[in-house]
Formats: sequence, C-alpha cells, structure tokens
Amino acid sequence: MRHLDAEALRALSAGEREEVAYFREHLARPCEECMDFLARTPGPGLLDGQVDELLLHLAPPREEPRLDEVGLARIRRALRGRAASPWRKVAATVALAAGLAGLVLLTQSQLRSPRQEVAWDGVKGDGLKGVGRLSLELSVVAHGPGEALRRLDPGAAASEADVLVLRYHATEAGEALLFQQRGNASPELLGRFPLQAGTHELEGPQGLVGVSLEGESGPLTLWLVGFPSGQVPTPDEVREALTRGHLEEREQLSIERFDLRVHNRQNPRPR
Amino acid sequence: MRRVGASRELTEWVLRAARGEEPAFSELYRRSRPLVARLLAGFAPLDADEVEDVIQETYVRAFKALPRLKEPAAFEAWLLSIARNRARTRLERKSQARRLDEEISDPQPESTPLLPEALQLERDMAVVRQLIDELPEGEEKKTVHLFYVEGQLSAREIAEKLGVGKSAVTMRLERFRARIKQELLRRVLAGRWE
Repeated sequence: MRHLDAEALRALSAGEREEVAYFREHLARPCEECMDFLARTPGPGLLDGQVDELLLHLAPPREEPRLDEVGLARIRRALRGRAASPWRKVAATVALAAGLAGLVLLTQSQLRSPRQEVAWDGVKGDGLKGVGRLSLELSVVAHGPGEALRRLDPGAAASEADVLVLRYHATEAGEALLFQQRGNASPELLGRFPLQAGTHELEGPQGLVGVSLEGESGPLTLWLVGFPSGQVPTPDEVREALTRGHLEEREQLSIERFDLRVHNRQNPRPR
Repeated sequence: MRRVGASRELTEWVLRAARGEEPAFSELYRRSRPLVARLLAGFAPLDADEVEDVIQETYVRAFKALPRLKEPAAFEAWLLSIARNRARTRLERKSQARRLDEEISDPQPESTPLLPEALQLERDMAVVRQLIDELPEGEEKKTVHLFYVEGQLSAREIAEKLGVGKSAVTMRLERFRARIKQELLRRVLAGRWE
C-alpha cells in the first residue's frame, strides 16, 4: 500500500490521473501515515490555509474587532525596515528592574526638579504639560552594556547600545501612548500603557518597558502622552496633534517630551 | 461561522491594499488579526511575546507580497498559511529541530486555492461538523470542541482546564486538523483535479 509522500504530492499537483484515482480511494478512510505526512508537510498550495480557515470559522463570530494600533505600528515600523520589536525590548529590560531600585530616589528628585509647568500651547518644547485632570511628568534612565544605569537630562547624548527606561509621575491613574520621533519624521507609536497614580516605571503587559536605541542615529524624541481612562484618543489623533500642535480640543491630554541625540559608529559622540 | 458578505468585503479591501491604498492595510489588519491570533492560540508552546512576534512577521511578509497575490479572495487562506509556517518555524527553532538559517517557505502569492472559495464553504463546514460529531467521546473530542467549536479558550487555557500538558492539547488539535486536511484533499481529488 502506498501512502502520501513528497513525490505523490507532486504527482497529484500535476494532475497525474493514476495517482489521483489511487489517492482518491486511499484517502476515503482515515490513514494514519498519510495524516502524519500531511501534518508535517506544508501545502500543497493554500490547502493548509483553507483547512485553518474552515476550522477557525466554525466558532460563532465575536464582536466587531477593534484595531490593534500598537500591533499595526510595529508592522509599519518593520515594513519601513526597522526590525526592532518593542515587546522584545521589553523582555530585554525586565532584568533591569532590580537595578532600578537604587535609582528611584535620583529620578524622583529629578521629577521634583523645578521644571516649568505650562499648559499645552501647541508648540513643542521641553516640559510641556496638559491642563487636564491627569498631569504627567517623565524622566529617563539609560542602561548601556556592562554599565550602571545613568539618568539622562533632556537633550543628552546616548549610545545606540543603550536601552532607555522611562519613569513617570502621574497625578492619577490613566493610560498613556508612547511615541518615538526621529528628527522631523512623523512620530511612531511604540505602545499603549497603563498609568498608575504616583511615581512608577512605565510598564506594559509583559513587564518593565525599555526602549532600545539599536539602529538609531541622530536626534530622537520620546513623547509620552497621558490621558484619563475612558477618554482614549486614537493614536492617529495624537500623532496628528503632536505633528501639527493642534491640541486645543484635547485638553485632557498630558504630554511629556524628552529629546536626546543618539550616537553610533557612523555618528560618534563629540569628544 | 463566516458570513459570505464579510468575505466579499475583505476581498474588496485586499484589492484596495494591492492598489497601494494605505488605509486598506489597517482595515485588513483589523479584520483578519483575530483569526491569525486564534490560529496561533492553538500553538500552546508559544508564549505571548512569541505570538506577537509571529503575528508581526506574518503581516510584514503578507503586506510586502500582497500586490502579487493572484487570488484576492484567497487572502485569508494565504495569510493563515503564512502564519502557520511562521509559527512552525519558530517552534522548530525553539526545539532546535531546524537551523537558524532554515525556515519553512511560505506559499507563493501566485498560488491558487485548491478548494473553490465560498461555493462549497457551507458544505465543507457541514462535513467538518460531522467529523467532529463522529469523534469518539473522550479527551480529543472535548479539546476539538473547546478550541474550534466554542472558540473562546487558547490551547494553554484548555490544557489548564483539562489538567493536561499544553503540548498534549496542541498535538490533539494538530491530529484532528490533519484528519480534516486529508478529507479536504480527498474532496479536491474527487472533484477539481479530475
């Protein structure tokens, strides 16, 4: 008795009559060997996808899906040749959590530093604050390979080997969108995160968030945009607002900007 | 169960994306992601990070090749084929069964579906339901019912619910799926290829 193998599949795909007739009969009953081969072997053609499509549509449809903005942002980023994967970055920095404990006081004192609090006026600049109920402040620490965590001041230089950990202070619980902007390019969404009242590191569902600078070069801006829960703007609205500065009708947003300059081998730090 | 109208709408978005209309990519992603995520929920050994990475890799490959997709109506099947291959490659690399530079190749966008779309869908679904009904009462039937018919729990959650290892759940699902694949191949041989 013959069973499916690569050669048989090729013959079937070519429509060889004898093979078609034989396997039409042979497959009329469950055949463990053929099933095992089919389970291990992709195709032929789109058959695997059609099988999955059929099976996955057996269940009752769920409610109309919402757009996963963060996932789409990752895909757009990868399509532009930026293969960095934010969730991998997260995993890479979870181990930093213990090291951060020693930095809490430093960053807290930085958070308490006398930075000017002004209402968002549509013009980008350091220390911009929203006038909504949620107020947000941001500080950044960098971790390079083989070195301790160091606090970054706005406008500081960082290395492409650094991973940035964000620490925020929120006056109440809410949510935040984190964007990254290279030079004058459009801000790219890195993720959406819950905010807790008080001072905390930015965390996502997988743990502590770290922003890898791998592959970056030149001026880079991080935007952390906070908003009260239940008043969620779309990332496109926020991106548009960040780009054009039209936030007059978005007073519930609290916007924190952090500029830095990334150096790499092609773009070394000036000595 | 899939609505034929929804399938036609999806095809329209595929055509618009193939013409380079940016919002169409968002819409394709919004509409198809739950199905891709559901497929990957059957791969219990993949953790949440890995699932997200596979989803990203799937869409990057699909969106790059979309303009060459010969049969827009086959988008969903093509996308799921890519997702399955990416998940399997990831799992095999994890178990070191496959070298890092090796991977399962995706179906070409020029591929045409073996089964006629939509026309036989209802009949194919009836066949699958019958095959599920005919499974002997036991753990495999329970697993298949929970994952495919109820469609709420992931393979990991089913493993927890049934008190078995997560690989056992994935193996049961793969075994049943192979049975369906055999049946669909036989139906293709009995019809279109002769």
